Amino acid sequence: MGLLTGKRVFSIVALCMMVGLLLLPIVIALPSPAIGEEAPAGDAAKKDGDKVEKGRDVYYKTEGIVVGAPAPKTTDGPKDYPRYNFESRVLIWFANQQHLYYGSFVLAVPIFCMIIEFMGVVTKDKALAKRYDQLAYDFIKISLTAYSLTAILGGILIFTFLTLYPAFFGYLSSIFRPVMHIYALMFVAESGTLYIYYYGWDKMKEGFLKWIHLSMSVVLNVIGTLLMFLANSWIGFMMSPAGVDEQGRYLGNIWHVIHTALWNPLNLHRILGNMAFGGGVVAAYAAYKFLSAKTDEDRAHYDWMGYIAMALGVAFLIPLPFAGYWLMREVYAYRQQMGITLMGGLLAWLFIIQATMIGILFLSSNYYLWQAMGRMRGAEKYQRYIKYLVFLLICGFLVFITPHTMVMSPAELKAMGGQQHPVLGNFGVMSAKNGGINVMITTTVLSFIWYMRGNKVSTVSWAKFGNIFMGVFFACAYVNIIWLAIYGYYIPANVRVGLSVPQVATTLSCLFFMFALNTVMMRGAKQMGPIEWGKISVRSQYALIMLATAFTWMMALMGYIRSSVRLFWHVNEIMRDNSPWAYTHTVGFAANMISFNVLFFWISILFVFWMGSLAAKKAPVTATAGIPGSVPQPAASH
Amino acid sequence: MKALMSLGALIGVAGLLLLGGMIFDVIPSTTVRLVEGYMPMQMLFELTCFVAGFAGLSYMMSVMGMPFPRFWQGIGFWAFILLYLKYRVYPPIPFSVRAMYGTVSLVAVFMWVSASEEDWKKFKQPIMNVLDAQTGLNRLLRYAYLVILPILIGGFSYNAMVPKSEEPIELRTVHPAPPASTKVHGKTYTLQTSQNPYRVNQEGKYDQEYTNANIVEQGMGRLMKPNANPWDDKNQGYLKYVREGGEIFFQNCHFCHGDNLNGRGLHAFAFNPIPANFTDPGTIAQLQETFIFWRVSKGGIGLPNEGFPWASVMPPWEQHLTVDEIWKVILFEYWHTGYYPRTWD
Repeated sequence: MGLLTGKRVFSIVALCMMVGLLLLPIVIALPSPAIGEEAPAGDAAKKDGDKVEKGRDVYYKTEGIVVGAPAPKTTDGPKDYPRYNFESRVLIWFANQQHLYYGSFVLAVPIFCMIIEFMGVVTKDKALAKRYDQLAYDFIKISLTAYSLTAILGGILIFTFLTLYPAFFGYLSSIFRPVMHIYALMFVAESGTLYIYYYGWDKMKEGFLKWIHLSMSVVLNVIGTLLMFLANSWIGFMMSPAGVDEQGRYLGNIWHVIHTALWNPLNLHRILGNMAFGGGVVAAYAAYKFLSAKTDEDRAHYDWMGYIAMALGVAFLIPLPFAGYWLMREVYAYRQQMGITLMGGLLAWLFIIQATMIGILFLSSNYYLWQAMGRMRGAEKYQRYIKYLVFLLICGFLVFITPHTMVMSPAELKAMGGQQHPVLGNFGVMSAKNGGINVMITTTVLSFIWYMRGNKVSTVSWAKFGNIFMGVFFACAYVNIIWLAIYGYYIPANVRVGLSVPQVATTLSCLFFMFALNTVMMRGAKQMGPIEWGKISVRSQYALIMLATAFTWMMALMGYIRSSVRLFWHVNEIMRDNSPWAYTHTVGFAANMISFNVLFFWISILFVFWMGSLAAKKAPVTATAGIPGSVPQPAASH
Repeated sequence: MKALMSLGALIGVAGLLLLGGMIFDVIPSTTVRLVEGYMPMQMLFELTCFVAGFAGLSYMMSVMGMPFPRFWQGIGFWAFILLYLKYRVYPPIPFSVRAMYGTVSLVAVFMWVSASEEDWKKFKQPIMNVLDAQTGLNRLLRYAYLVILPILIGGFSYNAMVPKSEEPIELRTVHPAPPASTKVHGKTYTLQTSQNPYRVNQEGKYDQEYTNANIVEQGMGRLMKPNANPWDDKNQGYLKYVREGGEIFFQNCHFCHGDNLNGRGLHAFAFNPIPANFTDPGTIAQLQETFIFWRVSKGGIGLPNEGFPWASVMPPWEQHLTVDEIWKVILFEYWHTGYYPRTWD
């Protein structure tokens, strides 16, 4: 009892410390406006006989006292651009991409852990609760090794910046000086919390202590998210600078520097993207373990793990296109030419590749769900209709990937009778593409609902009416989405942009209302048979690996696009890139570089998985002592 | 159900016969016309009808005790899509896009035939039979594939690698990103914020809503709205400026861009690519008026590096027209096509 009380006290103290660590940077930040912004300016003014130079914020258009030096005007040479006998930009690209991959992974996985641990805590079925808990523990174990690699890669990135782009990095550091150490402290807080969270798992596995443990995961994720927001502010500043004047001089308001035009859309997009990516990587891990499993128990466990990771990943994938749409809308609103460079100009073909990758994600998810129906008895009744879902998906996909700027020979151009094709030209613009992607998402929702009711027959008295209602609802949703896509051609562009709202609302209505209706209909449903975990086709596991690879490739692609849109600017319209590499790579070179980054990440993450498996091999010794580590049985329901 | 499937089967057969006729040039592609303005939806509708038709056909054959093997269903459907894109849709689709569509269709066929284990087994069976080679025919086929496949792959590789005298493929940027501002006749215009000074209401104030209400109707015919005839001398303000813009257009632009603004003017086919088709929803309908102002003023020669190869012979109209004339001609182009200029509010 005494020990338990001691544990309780210790846990509460640990949690308070974490919250303290979380708040510490904020406390440190509070006096910074006075110390870092106003005071020096005031002092300087006194020294210079009340000569205060004021500047106008390039974005907020407010006046502020100049407290920083102008952005350096660099020249090509060893002073501003020291180099190895190699393209410095490619080295930065590689270091940055790898750091981002691991950063995304270690930020996403604790969110999964939090969700799964919470599911375990609230689940009444004790066996299932234990399995959820074990799964969350497995996840965090994977992320722990990745965490060290993230830190190492972050160090490499900073050294690469310092060595190869000293002038640019010096300028960026001078602008973000008030929050640089806050970022570092947040990192310390994140590490501390993660280690306590991981190593305290067994000590705090029951009762009140479990809730404390769960609270730690919340704190951990809050810190992680804030870390990411801070890192996002740097790239937001580089794309759409604010808080500085035309010469790039800091005007003393760090909030303006952080809160740029693109910061919030980037934040949302990255949170969702990280989650989808994390889900994909864990699902691929489970698929790899499934394929190499020797026993039915292992296959069953990893089948279940893959399913949970895929479901979480897809849950965040569904809103991702909408967040991306918001980001692009803000990009267009910030600078028209930036938007056109991205989607209609120089980088438009990369966007077609991106659309293809998004399509692959949805195709893989749907394919996995259809395969997963194979492990349920009773799902056969849906399988014969899958061909129609394939048709809907593919029609949406084809429209979504149709390029506006087509690759063709002059002879083909002549045969086509102009640059614009009367059929495909219509598919190449936003109105049609919005329709295409919404059709794909709605079909994914439909696949998921079929999966959820695969082995069940509703027993509610109004089941027939419910089914008809559901069918009509989906049919109306498709009609509405397609109709709005057509209608978009007949209205002004600013109204057309707004049409995405009812389209998204239609898709989300299908998601939420139909899920809710299905849940109610399936309450107390007659089971046609259990879910036979582990008895799923190997094709499904390749679909999961495909899903993860597509995520990884797309992340690298989008990162490249986002960075390239600055063209020859380090900081858009403020600090020019005068290195010999201030040009846009060819599509082919970029694709090769992206593929190399993806390959390197997967090889290195395999190493991380292998490290994790080394730890797992010791588990049976400790399993007898009741520590979660023994091979768990999969859940009996989804 | 049977009647419905019979109808589907009928549609499937009729569709296949029509397509066969088009492939072998017995029936022209235009027999069932793709109606301008409705082509995209017509194409999707036709494909939907075909899918329904094939489902009906397959069902009917099963009922009659002659089920069509799943393997040939898959292969047949993929071949159908390739042929449909090649022979049905006109003007011809560039190979790059057909290749994309063909690959996606192949993925779709794979997803369909392997969606369930039973279907996948059925699909694989003929392949496994040939590989196992338990019968004489299968043994013969296996040897044939052993010889034919490497020859085919070698042939494709040779064809891809052999030097050709064809013009190279161009990845042309149709809408290069505009500069932040442009200087025309000594005045600098910020593209993000500038407005067409002639897009005004009756009080002479900038009013996009008012002008949008007076453009021609979209869709076939592009009919003028009642009481919005620019050639009525009584009309002043916006409609008068449209009239003036029209006069400038027909004096300078229509030789290339055509009297219907569809890029098919008198001289159009002397150029490759032919001039921009303003009636296509992918051109001026996607752009701000200031973008058009910049392009018209600076012409093909003023295209940025991004616009390489600069396949545009449009002259820099700032050398021939005043700023007011350029704005008015842009006003006319939007009025005539029934499109609204892009705005960001």
